[in-house]
Amino acid sequence: MSLIAAALAVVTALVALEDAGAASLLRHAYLVPVLAAALRFGTAGGALAAMAAVLLSGPFVLSEIERSGLTTEAVEGLVTFAMLGLVGILSGVLRTRAGRHRRRYEVLVTIQRTLADEAPLDVALARLRAALAARLRVDAVALVGRDDERLVIAGGDRVVDGSLAARVLASGEALFVEDAGGGARSRRVFAAPLLSNDQTVGVLAVERSGEMSLGERATLESIGAHIGIALENARLVSRQRRFATELGERVAAARRELEELDRAKSAFVAIASHELRTPLTALQGFSEILAVRRLPPEEVTRLAEVMRREARRLGRIVSDLLDLSRIERGLEPALCRIPLKLEPTIEGTVDIFRQGTATHLISTECEPALPVVDADPDALERVLTNLISNAIKYSPNGSTVRVGARALDGGVAIVVTDAGRGIPAEALSRVFEPYYRVPDAAGSARGTGIGLAVVKALVEAHGGTVRVDSAPPLGTRVTVVLPARAVAATHQHNGSVP
Amino acid sequence: MWALDHPYIPRAERLSTGTPLTLLVVLAAGAAVAMIAVQLGALPERSLRVIGVVAGHGALLATALAWAGVGPRPQVISVVMLGVASIAAAASPIGAVAYALPAMWVVWLSARGRLTTLGLGTPVTARALLAGALVGAGLSGHLLVSASRTLGVQVRVDHAAEVLSSMAYDVGANVLAAECFFRGALFNRAQRRWSFAAATGVATAAYVLRYVVDPLLPKNAELIVGAVFYLALLGAVNCWLLWWSESLVPGFVSALVFFAVYRTLGAG
Repeated sequence: MSLIAAALAVVTALVALEDAGAASLLRHAYLVPVLAAALRFGTAGGALAAMAAVLLSGPFVLSEIERSGLTTEAVEGLVTFAMLGLVGILSGVLRTRAGRHRRRYEVLVTIQRTLADEAPLDVALARLRAALAARLRVDAVALVGRDDERLVIAGGDRVVDGSLAARVLASGEALFVEDAGGGARSRRVFAAPLLSNDQTVGVLAVERSGEMSLGERATLESIGAHIGIALENARLVSRQRRFATELGERVAAARRELEELDRAKSAFVAIASHELRTPLTALQGFSEILAVRRLPPEEVTRLAEVMRREARRLGRIVSDLLDLSRIERGLEPALCRIPLKLEPTIEGTVDIFRQGTATHLISTECEPALPVVDADPDALERVLTNLISNAIKYSPNGSTVRVGARALDGGVAIVVTDAGRGIPAEALSRVFEPYYRVPDAAGSARGTGIGLAVVKALVEAHGGTVRVDSAPPLGTRVTVVLPARAVAATHQHNGSVP
Repeated sequence: MWALDHPYIPRAERLSTGTPLTLLVVLAAGAAVAMIAVQLGALPERSLRVIGVVAGHGALLATALAWAGVGPRPQVISVVMLGVASIAAAASPIGAVAYALPAMWVVWLSARGRLTTLGLGTPVTARALLAGALVGAGLSGHLLVSASRTLGVQVRVDHAAEVLSSMAYDVGANVLAAECFFRGALFNRAQRRWSFAAATGVATAAYVLRYVVDPLLPKNAELIVGAVFYLALLGAVNCWLLWWSESLVPGFVSALVFFAVYRTLGAG
């Protein structure tokens, strides 16, 4: 600035010393500081330097006009005035535009660099705002981005209804406020939409105390469009990466599940073989004894009873396997439903267990006049057998297994309670899965891990529900709810029972 | 940030909102009656200057105060003070001291923070005051050189009383009213609607027009061209000074320096 002022002063002094008046050739030297000012400071600098040059050379030209009128020299002087003004202003305008374009490209590069790293929208907007604040030469910058229904804001706390940003978000049109109030100098505010696929995905708002030209506003609007596209690209890349990660996790989880299922099936084959082999061994052994030895009648009866029990057990396992096979094929167990009173079925099943076990006390407690249910007697017996068998297996010797039934509104609840160690909470949700066995129970009692899965399938095939409540170490309670006959009939009518 | 946390209500008021029309009509009517009285010989010829000061500067100053949100009473008081000062100055050169009255009245209002929208009563830096003085000195220096080379005028000290009286008039009426209205009020409002260049153009054009149509100024073509040239520059630069410094005081300083030098010029 001082160099330009000094150059203007030197040229004026030289023109004065030459004393050639308006026609002095040295007047053209004013072009040097005027051009320098225009190239250094833009339009304002060029215009001011040109004005200063005209003011300084004015007295020489005006005195010529005053003395001799519009002579050739005077006209040359006036043309020089015009040339200085034109050169100063036009060079300044070009310099200003070039500077604006350069800043615009710098801002665009900054936007791309800032959004190159994967980051959540709030972090990306905060980074972008910091970068823009350093580049845009404004007093304040704010960015608002839409994240589904939520607004993410950088540079503010909230977007008030009816505010400039809210209006731009709603309309998608840029808005300019000449003065936001306060201060002797007007505070200009401009808000441009962030556009992506013709959708307004956010707002870029800037404030400046002083001028904000039409060119600057156009630049800000195009920056807003670029930010919108860059944000959308960043969002898509982020979503794609998230999707890939999620897919990978799902595949890994499915693989783990399959591996677990495979292990469970292998374990099941081993256990089932063992479970089948035990009654078969008993049947084979006792039948050979009966075939080769002569035994007293009471001993024959005892052995026959054992063989009958083992044969029933074998039959139950085979039935469970058949039902499981149907369940895995997506079919419901085959039922033959008839109107059924529950008390005899419960008492009959419990009696069989009472005869077969001396280690547990089994009590029954059925309410009188229970509603009749529409059920398959064999299936219901298998449900009860599985539940009572589990209760006996997983409760200590000498404890009591309680089997009860009570009427509900529109149904009957059968409750089997034991005083065992109970089931851990984390295992409760899985006890109905085929092949699943509670980890710490697997080593303490025999079992295939399909009993409760079959129970659930059978109960649900009746239109009922089954639930397990357990409070380690106080015991476990299994509640089966079957609909009473009228309700069951409706269920059957709807086609749920095959 | 304002764009986010303030409701945006598009501006509905016009540029001239708040203009004290009643007072302006009264001033115009009073001036017309007084001029008729002068024509009829009921008032002396020199009354025209008093009428011009009261009606012209009074209207500008009262409008500036009204646009700043000051009530009607202070506006009337400012007009009355201008009237008293102009009568006193017309009666005797020493009476021009009375022009301190309207200036002090504006200072008093500024000190109470009632003229902040005009850029008065706000902080002002020494740098801004120096810039104002330099602008005034630069323009008046150029005027001296240019006028002496073209019109043959020069600084004269043989009419000191007249110069001092004119300076008092500038302080209390001419510069005070012009800066308050054309910069503090008109430019200030215009720059809140349009760009700086457009606001400067409007305020400066109005400022130059006020001098061109002033019936008390000489109508010599060379003087008019010179007045338009320098007053346009002074007006534009004072707009920038207000915009840059956010205070009207640097503009006062530049205009006072310029007019002070202008008053000393004389032919012969």
